[in-house]
Amino acid sequence: METVRNRLMVAVFLFVAAFLLLSARMVGLGFSPVGQSGEHWTRGLPAYQAKRVDILDRNGVVLATNLETSSLYADPKKVQNPEAAVRKLAGVLPDLAVGNLLARLKSDKRFVWVRRKLTPQQIYQVNALGLPGFFFQAEEQRVYPHGPLFAHLVGYVDIDGRGLGGIEYNFDERLKNPLDADDNLVLSFDVRVQHALRDEMERAVRIFQAKAAAGIVLDVNNGEVLAMVSLPDFDPNFAGRASADQIFNRATNGVYELGSVFKTLTVAMGLDSGAITLADGYDATKPLKVASYTITDDHPKARYLTVPEIFIYSSNIGAAQMALDIGAETQQAYFEKLGLFTAPFIEITEVGRPIYPAYWRDINTMTAAYGHGIAISPLQLASAVAATINGGYLIPATLVHEGEGFRMPGKKVFSPEVSEQMRALMRLTVIEGTGRQADVPGYLVGGKTGTAEKPGEGVYQKHATLSSFVGVFPMDRPRYLVLVVLDEPVGTKETFNFSGGGWVAAPPVGRVIARIAPILGVEPLANEVRGYQEVALLVSDIP
Amino acid sequence: MARSLYFAPRTFDLSPGQRLRKINWLMVLTLSAVAGIGFAMLYSVAGGSWDPWAKNQAIRFGFALVIMIGIALLDLKWLMGLAYPAYAGALVLLVLVELLGSSGMGGQRWLDLGLIRIQPSEIMKVAVVLALAKYFHTLTPETYRHYKHLIIPVLLIAIPTALVMHQPDLGTAALLALGGLGVIFLAGARAWIFWAGIIGGLGAVPFIWRRLMDYQQDRILTFLNPESDPLGAGYQIIQSKIALGSGGLFGKGFMQGTQSHLNFLPEMKTDFIFTVLAEEFGLAGGLTLISLYVILLLYGLYISVSCRSQFGRMLAGGLTFILFLYVFINIGMVTGLLPVVGVPLPLVSYGGSAMLTVMIAYGLILSVGVQCGVNLARKD
Repeated sequence: METVRNRLMVAVFLFVAAFLLLSARMVGLGFSPVGQSGEHWTRGLPAYQAKRVDILDRNGVVLATNLETSSLYADPKKVQNPEAAVRKLAGVLPDLAVGNLLARLKSDKRFVWVRRKLTPQQIYQVNALGLPGFFFQAEEQRVYPHGPLFAHLVGYVDIDGRGLGGIEYNFDERLKNPLDADDNLVLSFDVRVQHALRDEMERAVRIFQAKAAAGIVLDVNNGEVLAMVSLPDFDPNFAGRASADQIFNRATNGVYELGSVFKTLTVAMGLDSGAITLADGYDATKPLKVASYTITDDHPKARYLTVPEIFIYSSNIGAAQMALDIGAETQQAYFEKLGLFTAPFIEITEVGRPIYPAYWRDINTMTAAYGHGIAISPLQLASAVAATINGGYLIPATLVHEGEGFRMPGKKVFSPEVSEQMRALMRLTVIEGTGRQADVPGYLVGGKTGTAEKPGEGVYQKHATLSSFVGVFPMDRPRYLVLVVLDEPVGTKETFNFSGGGWVAAPPVGRVIARIAPILGVEPLANEVRGYQEVALLVSDIP
Repeated sequence: MARSLYFAPRTFDLSPGQRLRKINWLMVLTLSAVAGIGFAMLYSVAGGSWDPWAKNQAIRFGFALVIMIGIALLDLKWLMGLAYPAYAGALVLLVLVELLGSSGMGGQRWLDLGLIRIQPSEIMKVAVVLALAKYFHTLTPETYRHYKHLIIPVLLIAIPTALVMHQPDLGTAALLALGGLGVIFLAGARAWIFWAGIIGGLGAVPFIWRRLMDYQQDRILTFLNPESDPLGAGYQIIQSKIALGSGGLFGKGFMQGTQSHLNFLPEMKTDFIFTVLAEEFGLAGGLTLISLYVILLLYGLYISVSCRSQFGRMLAGGLTFILFLYVFINIGMVTGLLPVVGVPLPLVSYGGSAMLTVMIAYGLILSVGVQCGVNLARKD
């Protein structure tokens, strides 16, 4: 009997001890930092990524989003047989760097990535291996559903989801720390317009064997960029495989001597400053000799040309003389106002600085009149040309859609009257001048060609050109500007081996306009709107 | 306390009315308080609704309360006579369920009693203590310290434990084995046997380890280092600890627990319900519940100490030990002291089966308490 009671006393003692232990544990937990913050146990693991918000086009089409995925990591201390484990894993992930992984699994580390972002199939197979010491970490994979379409604009991220290029880089913080989960970033692009532009440019690059190309579709009234393409491009889903040539954004980062499209600016500043009128004319009968240089025309008429004729037939000789009448200082003041001496503001960081003479001699003023001796990005040209026909405002281009009705604050450069005259001249270029191949019935396309000789070793290369066309439509009430620049196009039998802007860049611009005008709600007109004929009369009236 | 042993009134052949009055109603009240805390927690977990859990649990408790009081009124002699048949019956059910389970009944381990479904392994927890108490009661103090008399008790424990282990239900098997060994310990088997058992048990760990299922190994590894897999196997324990820690001294308030209401905690209405209490009522709430359990268990031990018959002493002591194991293992588990084994918190966790076991066990303890002074013949 005594034994039994002693045993019961032992039991009582054990009970009391056990409950004291539980109570002590509770008190301990209640005051320990373990419970109060999650800090302690997340150490050693990569922080779980907060959702990076989506990037959308102006119509809500997803340009960048996330896929939930898992990454495989190992705790080497818990891996029981590294050799066998690596062998089994290699069966599921054939391209695994076996030797490297084995060395890392045998290290003293407690955390080793095995493979980031596995496919669901791979996750299933790795789970089926049932390897101890291997774990999955939930992650997000940034996905660009349109592949290369927005490569230079939306940009790309690294494997940890940090922005490395384009909008992803410049808006990294904004995308990482949204106000809420629906706080997506809406860009100014329209995926349909972007597709049409890229499609036509790709076609032109293929046909004319161009080295590269840049293209922009700009809303001339509010500065929104609807499309912007740089070829060659790359797939941002696999940005690591892209070459530097592919990653380079030619529309904003490249600066080029763009050639005769500059005459748009020269004529506009001539009219605005009062140096010339549409009724004036210049002698273009023979090449112009300035010091040791000779200025020639690509499409020589070898006669006296009116200002509209100089523009629509793209006479370098005429434009050079026009620039002298405008004056170097006035010309530079207009360039300054048009933002051609500074890198333009835009929401990506891949922006090139313009190159221009440190000291302007007469020859610089004259060549600048037809776009040589000054190098700017296609984006800068688009904004400057837009200023000549939108009522006279230089509106900084933007890639972010702030909502309907928003307009980037512009700067007045030209008078509205000049704008009216420039519209007529650009329309005339397409009707009668070098830009005829850009015409699209009903949409009143206007524009200007450009064929720049590319600078080589100390001389301009006659047969390596930068051919461009800047088109605007509809010319009676301009809404959109389409610019296409082709780098070193080669003429074909169809273009009679010509590789100038009018032959190689105007057709794709025309086709882009034909495709996007209906999408953008521009109504085609059955008849030509009056006004342009009046300017045309000026041409035919003067012998 | 020693006095009560000798001067307790002898209560031979009490009428049912007398027995009803002699039931320790304070303990019934304490049990109801514990169950009440359970209802409140289930109400909270359901987001402030009696449906679906709190209501069911209350109905079951009422049902189990009636059964418990009924058992408390049973004659101890009659109960002793029931011991072996009950054990045999439970064993048959256990084998039956095992056989049916393996012959394509979808692993069915349940017996449907209509309102409450019960597992044979639950009945066995009580039955094994009854059988052991009966066995040791029939031995004289002179004989039962002899080793050969340990063979039958060990078999009585080992057979059902092995069957339950095979199901596999590690928690129940551990409860069965530990509860049975507790009875043997109380019976006065030589202490060195237990020391040898502990040492032998530790030696067997590597062999047992290999026999364990993967998920069981996982749980133990995770217990040893929950931070190794915070989003996987260690998740429950870490979230549970966070819940306990975040409760502070007086908790976040009723139905204000974030861990539970934001679904950080799985199994919060069953095995992890203690964390809901600790988060919403803090340290004070947790310690209050522990105190209520301590009162219930100390009463069981008191009955065991003061009982005149060996059967009553063994029965009350063994059942109290099993109840203690429930409470200790569950709270030890949610506070991270013990590995995660599926042991519910008596009367608080949602579920009828464990509740019925606990209430039957406590009914037997109350019954022993009622007939504390009864001397039972060694041989029937």
